[in-house]
Amino acid sequence: MPTFVYMTRCDGCGYCVDICPSDIMHIDDTWRRAYNLEPDMCWECYSCVKACPMHAIDVRGYADFCPLGHAVRVHRDEEEGIIAWRIKFRSGRIKDLVAPITTKPWGKFIPNLREVAPPTDEQRKSQLLFNEPKYIRLDDGDLYTLESQGLKMRQGVYY
Amino acid sequence: MAYKTIVVDNIDILVVGAGLSGTGAAWEARYWGQDKKIVIAEKANIYRSGAVAMGLYAINCYMGTRFGENNPEDHVRYARNDLMGMVREDLLFDMARHVDSAVHQFEEWGLPLMRDPETGKYQREGKWQIMIHGESYKPIVAMAAIKSADKVYNRICVTHLLMDEAKENRVAGAVGFNVRTGDFYVFKSKTVIVAAGGASMIYKPRSTGEGAGRVWYAPWSSGSAYGLLIQAGAKMTQMENRIVLARFKDGYGPVGAYFLHLKTYTQNAYGEEYESHWYDELKKMVGEYIDHHPVPTCLRNHALIREVLAGRGPIHMVTMHSFQDPHLEEVGWHNFLGMTVGQAVLWAANDVDPKCENPELTTSEPYVMGSHATGCGAWVSGPEDVSPPEYFWGYNRMTTVHGLFGAGDAAGGTPHAFSSGSFTEGRLAAKAACQYIDDGKAEGIVVSERQIEELREKIYKPLENYKIWRNEIVAGTVSPTVLLPKQGLIRMQKIMDEYCGGVSMQYMTNERLLNIGLMKLQLLKEDMEMLAAADLHELLRCWELHHRVLTSEAVMHHTLFRKETRWPGYYYRGDHLYLDDENWHVLTVSRRDPKTGEYTMEKAPLYHIVGDVEEEYEKKKKAKKKAS
Amino acid sequence: MITTNPFAGLAEYGITPGMMMAFVILMVLAVVVGTALDVLHKKSHKYFFEHEERMKKLATRELSSAEKTSMLIQTITSEVLTSSEFHNPKRRLAHLLKMYGFVLFVLSSAVLIFAYPTTADAPFWAFLWHLGAIMVAIGGYWFFFSLRVDVQSEGNKWWNLKKRDLFIVSLLATVTFGLLWSLFGTVVLFALFIISTAVLFGSVYWSKFAHMFFKPAAAYQKRKLMADGSRENLPPFYKRAEVLDQSTMDLVRDIPKDQKFGLCIMKDEPKHY
Ligand SMILES: Cc1cc2nc3c(=O)[nH]c(=O)nc-3n(C[C@H](O)[C@H](O)[C@H](O)COP(=O)(O)OP(=O)(O)OC[C@H]3O[C@@H](n4cnc5c(N)ncnc54)[C@H](O)[C@@H]3O)c2cc1C
Ligand code: SF4
Ligand code: SF4
Repeated sequence: MPTFVYMTRCDGCGYCVDICPSDIMHIDDTWRRAYNLEPDMCWECYSCVKACPMHAIDVRGYADFCPLGHAVRVHRDEEEGIIAWRIKFRSGRIKDLVAPITTKPWGKFIPNLREVAPPTDEQRKSQLLFNEPKYIRLDDGDLYTLESQGLKMRQGVYY
Repeated sequence: MAYKTIVVDNIDILVVGAGLSGTGAAWEARYWGQDKKIVIAEKANIYRSGAVAMGLYAINCYMGTRFGENNPEDHVRYARNDLMGMVREDLLFDMARHVDSAVHQFEEWGLPLMRDPETGKYQREGKWQIMIHGESYKPIVAMAAIKSADKVYNRICVTHLLMDEAKENRVAGAVGFNVRTGDFYVFKSKTVIVAAGGASMIYKPRSTGEGAGRVWYAPWSSGSAYGLLIQAGAKMTQMENRIVLARFKDGYGPVGAYFLHLKTYTQNAYGEEYESHWYDELKKMVGEYIDHHPVPTCLRNHALIREVLAGRGPIHMVTMHSFQDPHLEEVGWHNFLGMTVGQAVLWAANDVDPKCENPELTTSEPYVMGSHATGCGAWVSGPEDVSPPEYFWGYNRMTTVHGLFGAGDAAGGTPHAFSSGSFTEGRLAAKAACQYIDDGKAEGIVVSERQIEELREKIYKPLENYKIWRNEIVAGTVSPTVLLPKQGLIRMQKIMDEYCGGVSMQYMTNERLLNIGLMKLQLLKEDMEMLAAADLHELLRCWELHHRVLTSEAVMHHTLFRKETRWPGYYYRGDHLYLDDENWHVLTVSRRDPKTGEYTMEKAPLYHIVGDVEEEYEKKKKAKKKAS
Repeated sequence: MITTNPFAGLAEYGITPGMMMAFVILMVLAVVVGTALDVLHKKSHKYFFEHEERMKKLATRELSSAEKTSMLIQTITSEVLTSSEFHNPKRRLAHLLKMYGFVLFVLSSAVLIFAYPTTADAPFWAFLWHLGAIMVAIGGYWFFFSLRVDVQSEGNKWWNLKKRDLFIVSLLATVTFGLLWSLFGTVVLFALFIISTAVLFGSVYWSKFAHMFFKPAAAYQKRKLMADGSRENLPPFYKRAEVLDQSTMDLVRDIPKDQKFGLCIMKDEPKHY
């Protein structure tokens, strides 16, 4: 099955249950450990794999088309802001890759829109969104309109 | 049943589904409605829900006007061309003129957008795409939505919209159940923004075992946006415009970066370029559209499908050249790990090394959605300063139901919005919803206890069915009385596959097939009264199935209505195998009467954005005509 | 009260010290047999060794016996003695309470029954017996009502019991009835105490009791596999500073090396519903 859980690694913390977008990681009725209860609804999205603090979840590629003997495993570290992957091919070859997952402390630079200066009536009546027009081009220009671009809306066949 | 009823009252803006468009909506709504009550109801966990749960390696819609790269109208022309003319250009222009401002904010929030080391501009993958390290794209936009919303209700599967009983055709909120506790949730709201995403698993998939989960669009894309809107009687558009993807075989790993950035290309089994083999045929079918650049996605699919049927498959992606460059090879792998890990798993399992062999490509089963190279969705109003009268009824992105808005996959006629465009559409809808409330349009909404009670009963019926009727049998899944959600899903997929142009029919259908298909869907709908759920997880699957079936029905009606083959390579009407601009250069619009379930279909005029480029083109065409 | 040996008054119910001793021995046997059956029947030991063999093939270096000994010691001092494998501090604390409480409770029971079968006045051991039971009760009820994953993350009601709850329920019943019996001394409470104890120790084969034995072994194995380079196929757990030379990292190269970004998804408890 796409994801599966190693019996001796899972401690039943529930992160996978909490995160799975497909609602298919659940707690087993006998062992109080997690398992994938509907493998054919698993996208191999790795949300649960990345969230498991014990590295207890692994993926065995879909039986329909994946021979055994491979592994794609991951370690996602929010504090460090990086993700590390290891791909193990059936032949035993190994490939390691790393990438950043954020460039800033999480959430710190997202403004709280309750606290910014409220929009003026003029802004309300305009076509502008928050932080516009500034953020469109990071200059002083205005929003594009049909007029500004010399355009018309017309019926007919145009390519 | 012991489940509690929890009423969340006095909501101003209810966002149903917090994927890319829903998070955009909730975030922006706070600016225009600083004292408004903004609530999110999300089926999964907002940090990893929707099509971007896995992350993305590219933002596919970025103009780059800041760097002098493209203007919004260029993007409109691109999307128009790719969809064979069938797009809402007012909505597209509007999205395109705002989208960069969303992307610039993402960068400020910490989303790693790659930069070209020489120019300092964002690293382009293609003309519209920029490359990102987007593993945490979804958690980042989720934090923005969480910051703005009064409350995020996670794990709420919204099943129905509430309708106002004082004024006809006005929305009043939504109901659903908590997938964990089972409690019944009633959200009473002045406006609702439906942002519940597109639909996968409508058609029988190529992989039918475990591999059924490796769909191109996420398995949790349950067509709820369409199901909810159709149930409420909102008009829908372009639902026939399902999409078929040419992707790496079985894993459906993305090809965009491969084609555009890694400069890989395709060839048939014998190492030949094959698209030109099908030029004459396509010229006959679609006329001058085949001469456009870039060649529309569907037409390239057509060549691939026909080449394989001609016995010259499989089609290969030629990676062996580019992958000799270790940097490009690394990009290729990161591209998978960033947004389709399953493709990396598949290659690891099969020992595929794209340096040493050229992997196979294939065309997928069809998908119904509205933000990629297709534009299924609700018929929504455009912005005042762009839209012609037929496309404008007061509030940007409002459906034909008052107070009910749609964004992202939910909004029709806006292909090529992708993640950033969907987020932007959410923002636009949010501003308009605030305006709608401030204009006093949401006063005096009445929702009776009866409406709520009826829905409550309906929602839990599958649990009740299961309880009662499992007494009939010893054990197992075969019952003469009830239907399990998985059984219903597979039946629906088979109907859609065989009667509405799925993969086993090589995307072919006709009027007779569609009529039989509709009849069979009707029987399925009747049987679904007896859907049975053993637990809350299965109850979730039951309601996802309801939304998928409503989506399928709309797709059938629309496919039946459009009597031409507009998008060869997406599907074929065998009884009308040619593109017909004379009669069908229009948008299709449907409405299902919520009381009777009857469909009415109409044609809506197609407006195009016309400027120098178009006029130049017309002139040349006329000159050509004269000359010949 | 809590310094009185509760077992001293058993003669009142006609229960001789010999009977109690026999009961204890029976319980020990039940655990031994249950665990042995568990291992043999499920071949869990075989899996264990075969997994280790398979992973050894991927090892990039051989561990010296000194290293192995030091890992064994670390496993004992870290995973076994301080339950360090628990990621969630609340669960770790609850587990420590339950574990040490249980050890005190079992040990003092044995001592009281064998060394002080009829002496009410054995304040030290009797105190430990009560303390152990109270610790198990605190950790156990905390776990039972709010930390159990099916209650915390699955949203189940606490009274929705399944087979997986056999262990925690019989454990709680044992210490609860034990304490109540020590307090009120009725024969009914004593009977309940004995029955729950019998279920706790007698159900090893069906409950997750056996985890006490394989968890430390698994923890030790994990340590070895992480050290010998096979890492169960996991990538190295880099710090950002260690990989800044990679081409993917240009965007974060100028950020101070030791800056931490805080937590995002992992900030919240796993109960989003
Ligand atoms: C494989 C793949 C690759 C892609 N690549 C790119 C790319 O490289 N670049 C790019 O820009 N875009 C890409 N996209 C497109 C992008 O992901 C979508 O366009 C975008 O996510 C659509 O946004 P949305 O809000 O409409 O839907 P979604 O993001 O899917 O959100 C829908 C939300 O609604 C919730 N929901 C559904 N039903 C219910 C219900 N009944 N009740 C409550 N909530 C519900 C879901 O849980 C989800 O959170 C890709 C998509 C896929 C699948
Ligand atoms: S997240 Fe990992 S450890 Fe926690 S329950 Fe899931 S599999 Fe087990
Ligand atoms: S990989 Fe994704 S879909 Fe599969 S179980 Fe994990 S979270 Fe769910």
